[in-house]
Amino acid sequence: MTGPESKIWGSMEDSATSAAKRQRTLAGGLICCAVFLFLLALAAPTLAAVNCELNNPSSDVPRLFPESTSFKTVYFSFAQRGGDPLLRKVEARLGGVPTLYAPLNVPYTLYEVYKGKKKVGYVHGVNQKGQFGVLEVFVSLDMDGTIKAFYIQRMAGPWAKKFTSPRFGKQFVGLSLKDFERYDTVSGKGSGKVAAIANPAPEAATDFFGLLRAVKKNLVLMDEFFYSAER
Amino acid sequence: MITKFQVAYRNLLRKKMRTLLTLVGIMLSSWVLVSLLGFNRGYERSLNHDIENMGYQLMVMAKGCPYEAATMMLQGGTGLRYIDQTMVDSIAKEPEVDKITPILMQAFFDPNKGDGGGIAGYYGVDPATFPGMKPFFRFRQGGWFRDETAAEAVMGYEAAELEQREVGDMIIVPEKNVTLKVVGILERTGTQDDGTIFVPLKTLQKIAATDKITTIGIKLKKDADSAKLEAELYKLPDVQVVSFTQVKQTIMKLISTARVMVFSVAVIAILIAMVGVVNTILMSVLEQQQEIGILKTMGAMPGDIFRLVWTETLIFCGCGGVAGIGLAFVLARMTDILMRRILPYAPGGGLVAIDLRLALLTLTVIVTVGLASGIYPAWKAGRVRPLESIRSDGR
Repeated sequence: MTGPESKIWGSMEDSATSAAKRQRTLAGGLICCAVFLFLLALAAPTLAAVNCELNNPSSDVPRLFPESTSFKTVYFSFAQRGGDPLLRKVEARLGGVPTLYAPLNVPYTLYEVYKGKKKVGYVHGVNQKGQFGVLEVFVSLDMDGTIKAFYIQRMAGPWAKKFTSPRFGKQFVGLSLKDFERYDTVSGKGSGKVAAIANPAPEAATDFFGLLRAVKKNLVLMDEFFYSAER
Repeated sequence: MITKFQVAYRNLLRKKMRTLLTLVGIMLSSWVLVSLLGFNRGYERSLNHDIENMGYQLMVMAKGCPYEAATMMLQGGTGLRYIDQTMVDSIAKEPEVDKITPILMQAFFDPNKGDGGGIAGYYGVDPATFPGMKPFFRFRQGGWFRDETAAEAVMGYEAAELEQREVGDMIIVPEKNVTLKVVGILERTGTQDDGTIFVPLKTLQKIAATDKITTIGIKLKKDADSAKLEAELYKLPDVQVVSFTQVKQTIMKLISTARVMVFSVAVIAILIAMVGVVNTILMSVLEQQQEIGILKTMGAMPGDIFRLVWTETLIFCGCGGVAGIGLAFVLARMTDILMRRILPYAPGGGLVAIDLRLALLTLTVIVTVGLASGIYPAWKAGRVRPLESIRSDGR
């Protein structure tokens, strides 16, 4: 269809466009863009990476934090916060040793612990290289960053029982990042409460220092991601 | 000069919200359709990939339910059913067999894994024949074992990542306290091999104090008669044969029921969207009866009006279809994740495979169904009587 009839039809359409209309259109477009970007973020590929989670959080969290009444699981990663510079900073604080199998997107699992509605602390775990396999080490922390409980979820080796015993774990209770800053977990040199922790299996020096590094890593990560932000 | 498309386009813009909602309906239905078609293709492709990456097409194991064997493994490996390794030589003589490899699956209880302990699984493989079954394996670090009795291990990527192992590190076999040196770490394969720890067969047999095996993997010659070989293998005493073709068929059968249901939902979604199109166009025709009447008085034929209204339908379906396909491309990964959560078994790799051909097919379906549903409103518009419509005063 061409000619006068189409001109009439065309002239019948509403042609007036006010500034208000344009603004509404712009706002609508922005909302559409935001929704689209949100969907894109949802659709972003999730690369597999191994994080450290409690096997049975519903029973482990009350055990590690007896006064807790509930907990909430949250996830954080270097990719979400400071990216590569923050990862390098954390590695430097841990003695400059590059972290093994820890890409920026590795999700760290954190259990926020509540007593009633009040947040009273955290339970957090890390993976650390041990002599015969991974060391999965958890600590429960109060809101000041002081260790309330120490728990080895996974450890390989004939001496594992010596390290998982309550006697060994009690040595970590009451320690904080300040105590670990006086001790080099890479060279094993330093002073203070951390230096006083006794190795129950001298033949397993790799695992012993691995555990100390794991606790320090735990405290440094918590400091960078939460305590520093809360201060 | 204003073209038919411009006229139809401007006409649609008269009722923006109505047009938008109808477009969203078409977009969603075409998204569902293309995603499902993509899933149909992607699932089968991934399943084939997984089966091909097994390296062998047939597995021979001791008689008994494989699930039972798996359960027993999880309970400590004490009740595993074994077969004699001499069976490998007799099967190798069959003319259909290209390659054959003996495997020993062994599980040990690790009391230090978690609170109640856990199971650590090992895969004993023959260094002479197993690598030939998996030529696609690529090493991230190191390589295969030095010899068939070496106290060494090769770890899948995820097993190494989980245990934080590198080449040169040691692992310990729980229960037995035997240490093994990690000599190789594989690149990701996207299959179960990623979580496997491979040990030389003889080493694992020594650790487990057995001279038997649990499985024989068989790769067939090209164009070999699988059914004939299976029949021959069933003549062997106390064995059962698992054919991956059968496994694939079984899985596809399980999936097909769900697929039919989901396709039905997609068809319903398309029908609802098309009812929306009919409704929108019909409303538009009724609202513009006067304009149509004027056009007719100026010489427009019923065919012209029909084509004009049909063009509106075409724009609806074309734009909605393209938007839906675009959405499906963008959200393919999310659809993949959702499917994996829903399905009891999902093979590795992309489950939703959408390509240009599939996109064009979907667009064709949407446009064809849309045009078909636009016939009635267009026909009704073509039959409008000019004088009656002008006198109707917009009622």
